[in-house]
Amino acid sequence: MRFQRVSKAVALGAVLALSITACSPGGTDAPEPGEATETQNGGGTEATTTGLADLGDITTKDDTISVSVGAPEFISYNGFTPQTYSTYNSAITDRMFVGFSYFGTDGQVYPNEELGTFEKVSDDPLTVEYTINEDAVWSDGTPITVADAVLAWAVQNTNLSDGDSPLFNSVSQDLGDTVPNGPEGDASGKTFSVVFTDPDPDWQIQTWMLHPAHVVAEQGGLSLDEFVEAARSGDSDALKDAAEFWNTGWVTDPGTLPDEELMPVSGPYKLSSWQAGESVTIEANEAYYGTPAATKNITFRFSADNTMVQSLQNQDLNVIAPQPTVDTLTQLEALGDAVVIHQGDTLTWEHLDFNFVDGNVMNSLELRTAFAKCVPRQDIVDNLIKPLNPDAQVMNAREVFPFQENYEEVVAAAYDGRFDEVDIEGAKTILEEQDAVGTEVRIGYSAPNERRTNQVAQIKSSCDEAGFNIVDAGDPQFFAPGGTQERGDYEVALFAWAGSGQIASGQNIYSTGKPQNYGQFSNEAVDAEWATLAASLDPAVHLEQIKKIEKLLWDELYGIPVFAHPGLDASSSDIENVRFTATQNGIVWNAEQWLRAE
Amino acid sequence: MLKFILKRLGSALGVLLAASLLLYVLVINSGDPLADLRESNADNREYLMEQRIGYMELDQPWYARYWGWLSGASKCLIGQCDLGRNINGIEVSGLLANAAASTLRLVLLATIIAAILGIAIGVLTAVRQYSGLDYIVTFLTFLFFSLPVFWAAVLLKNYMAIEFNDWLVAPDISLTTSIVIGVVAGLVMQMLLAGSLKRRALTFVVTAAFVPLMLQYSLWLNFYRYPQMGPAVIVVLTALLALSVTAMSVGLKERRVLVPALITVVLVLGMYYATFNLMLDPNAWILVVGLILAVGIPAVIGKLMGGRLSKMAMGLAAVVGFTGASLTLIDHLFRAWPGFLQIKSRPISTIGSSTPNLQGGFWDHFLDNATQLLLPTILLAIISLASYSRYTRSSMLEVQQQDYIRTARSKGLAERTVIFRHAFRNALIPIATIAAFDFAGLIGGAVITETVFGWKGMGEMFTTGLNNVDPNPVMAFFLVTGSAAILFNLLADIVYALLDPRIRV
Repeated sequence: MRFQRVSKAVALGAVLALSITACSPGGTDAPEPGEATETQNGGGTEATTTGLADLGDITTKDDTISVSVGAPEFISYNGFTPQTYSTYNSAITDRMFVGFSYFGTDGQVYPNEELGTFEKVSDDPLTVEYTINEDAVWSDGTPITVADAVLAWAVQNTNLSDGDSPLFNSVSQDLGDTVPNGPEGDASGKTFSVVFTDPDPDWQIQTWMLHPAHVVAEQGGLSLDEFVEAARSGDSDALKDAAEFWNTGWVTDPGTLPDEELMPVSGPYKLSSWQAGESVTIEANEAYYGTPAATKNITFRFSADNTMVQSLQNQDLNVIAPQPTVDTLTQLEALGDAVVIHQGDTLTWEHLDFNFVDGNVMNSLELRTAFAKCVPRQDIVDNLIKPLNPDAQVMNAREVFPFQENYEEVVAAAYDGRFDEVDIEGAKTILEEQDAVGTEVRIGYSAPNERRTNQVAQIKSSCDEAGFNIVDAGDPQFFAPGGTQERGDYEVALFAWAGSGQIASGQNIYSTGKPQNYGQFSNEAVDAEWATLAASLDPAVHLEQIKKIEKLLWDELYGIPVFAHPGLDASSSDIENVRFTATQNGIVWNAEQWLRAE
Repeated sequence: MLKFILKRLGSALGVLLAASLLLYVLVINSGDPLADLRESNADNREYLMEQRIGYMELDQPWYARYWGWLSGASKCLIGQCDLGRNINGIEVSGLLANAAASTLRLVLLATIIAAILGIAIGVLTAVRQYSGLDYIVTFLTFLFFSLPVFWAAVLLKNYMAIEFNDWLVAPDISLTTSIVIGVVAGLVMQMLLAGSLKRRALTFVVTAAFVPLMLQYSLWLNFYRYPQMGPAVIVVLTALLALSVTAMSVGLKERRVLVPALITVVLVLGMYYATFNLMLDPNAWILVVGLILAVGIPAVIGKLMGGRLSKMAMGLAAVVGFTGASLTLIDHLFRAWPGFLQIKSRPISTIGSSTPNLQGGFWDHFLDNATQLLLPTILLAIISLASYSRYTRSSMLEVQQQDYIRTARSKGLAERTVIFRHAFRNALIPIATIAAFDFAGLIGGAVITETVFGWKGMGEMFTTGLNNVDPNPVMAFFLVTGSAAILFNLLADIVYALLDPRIRV
């Protein structure tokens, strides 16, 4: 059979081939098997405050660290327009631009003295004087000056408009009225002062430094002086082209970066490459005037959450910020010493808010109290949150978080622990007194959300015993126009607020008629206390007001805080200085300090 | 025919238009584009919402929004597509180009492999119907077919990426493992080659002895970190191929075919040395041109020397030339491998289509792209293997029952001729339909595969668009997949006519 002959020939040939080539072992000796990595929990320089640690004298190491904060693609160098503003984009752009202040890991505001210093020189009117670091320059060598602050102000100034809409398409738009004159001072100098019309408790975190004014001016066909002059005098026509460039000039097709001369940076990193759909790499800014970046390249990869753990294990990624789920945590724990797991509370907190719309049964304080008595907050935290964050606790405040310094003090002043224990009997008694046994309580939330469904189930099993009839009113359209929330077809809303680190932002939630006061709560005392807080610049007053407000909100039962959302990040154990933060900046907040251990 | 095509295209355009209207309305009503802002407590939330309403034109009625999209998209007919911008203000046409390129890279190779392997398996199992091989292959293809992609991807990443990379640091295969692998390989080989009991036993013993030996030998060579082949192996393998293909087709006595094949072997050796320096750091064009020449020149030689058998000689010489060129390519890849390991110590990543900012020359990038493509290609191929092999098998079985096959056998044709000339060609007709649909579908992207391997392709563009209730990317996706479906259906009809002259439109 012919076939047989051929197969014999093949076998013979193979042996022959081996013998003629007389291969010898290739290369050098096989390297030793990879040594087990040492565990260095929180490896690197120990931080003494919640701000950035002092790494001492540091030089940039020629190395690359890969990180993923999620799948969404990088959008633009200018992450300050409504289209481009997202936490994923900011994770990258925040490394490229510095401001006069930053948030520590617990949300506390720290000054950033590398860019410059600031000082409040007057309370009435609120006047702040800023001094830019003498050495501060953009990465193209142009000094950072007051002109750049004028640009930051101009983009947030809606008074510069083409009639219908503001010239600059910016996410923040309030500085035009609150600081009508903008930064005052010699445009090419290093000091400026800003004068607020009204006291602003959050003055420390106003943005006075964004993008390079010299680039925007040039692209708008103006000299830097002309630009500053036009911005200050409100000459919208002259600024039209410059604004157009600011709005769209940095928006490019995915994978294509704008020209390098168009995108100088003020921070420790600059954009170096962008592979569409996959990664953006930032490179240490050699002209940076502050503490140099610890590692030369940081690559941000756009990976889906469920792929991150394996990528970390395969060292495709060194730092990951997956969605915190028990599954992810279990997988990370299985990797043992090779990774460091970062767990903690975040500045997002879950709460049950009552509906005060006319005619709703929850307008009765007695019923609200009965409901609060039967909500098993401790069980919810034990069952749903502790598996992710063993230190989690029930939250008893709204404006401060358990991990913040003044939490104990505020809670001690505002809340006496009356709802710590589930009191079914107490709730039952109230319901009987009110002749409200069997009251239907629809708990609305934005579905699908497994954790919230579970919370409602736990509340139901407890509160139904007390005589309520809890209904799970989760709905994908809960917050949509015409949805459950807008129609008012609910008794209790279950959702979360993401804390912004601002002092006065709660006024929008708890004061009468404010846009985020969804349940239409109205209480004169609360309104007045907020007004006092917002008008003050004194941290001591802020604290006192928070205590009063918290007490009122507990007494009036605006709603019931439940817990702070848990956060979960992980890093390879050989990467030093990776630190968890509660803020929305996420794990990359101090990326310029990350360093691979030798 | 032309009238038929035009008619088909005309009606297709109507369908596309109606479907686009339906899809547009469905997408803009599929959710709340402001959902992410509603739970935000930024103090300028209202303003952000207003701005988004403005730039997404959410305040416009559905027909106005659809008209806006349609008038932009219809400019594609005159070559000036305006597909609008997505929710982040990025032009959709740019997104589409990236997504389509990435998807094509991801699925094209996998689909071709799946089609070729699937059809081959289908023919094999049909010829050996109800044999052990048939049962095992049927079991495996169904197993693969029913694998959940995300789960299989996790397993692949674990074993073929993470554990392989760990293993590669210091490759080792224990003696026991080698023997087990040898026994398994022996069992598979005897099943594939079949034959009498004695022959099966011999195949098993030879394979079971040879494989462990080779494994240990390769370890001794440190082959996995420093692979090597060299010209001698290339020449021997190419020569063997030349001899076996000639023997199998026309017999070794037929000099008019054998000589061009052997000349090609000599050419391969000559070219190996001639192009050695060029191939140390080539570019893609050199490879493409080289491959064309490697097929073209032997074909010309075969044509000139083949005489009466020129067609056969051309084909065989071209196959030999192609194999020689491929082996030369592999030889250079082997040479580049140690250097590649220096810059990418864990060669198989779990995400991405290439390693960002990889240094190194052409071969390093070539290897990088290949290693990145490996896992998703395997996954996609084994999953779509099943449909091809099952359809081919049943189609082959059906054709083999036909009278003309019996006629062909009874007039004394060789079994190979009966199967490939008479049965296989006819069996391919229904496969053409499946292949057409498959190709049209592949442009839609493999959503889950893209996500788990971190490729941003068409599927990802579609799901992101839908999640954001952002109609423009979804419509761009629809435009491409819809047109592809129509186009490939049309192609399938034309291919029918080519495969079967009886089919006339």
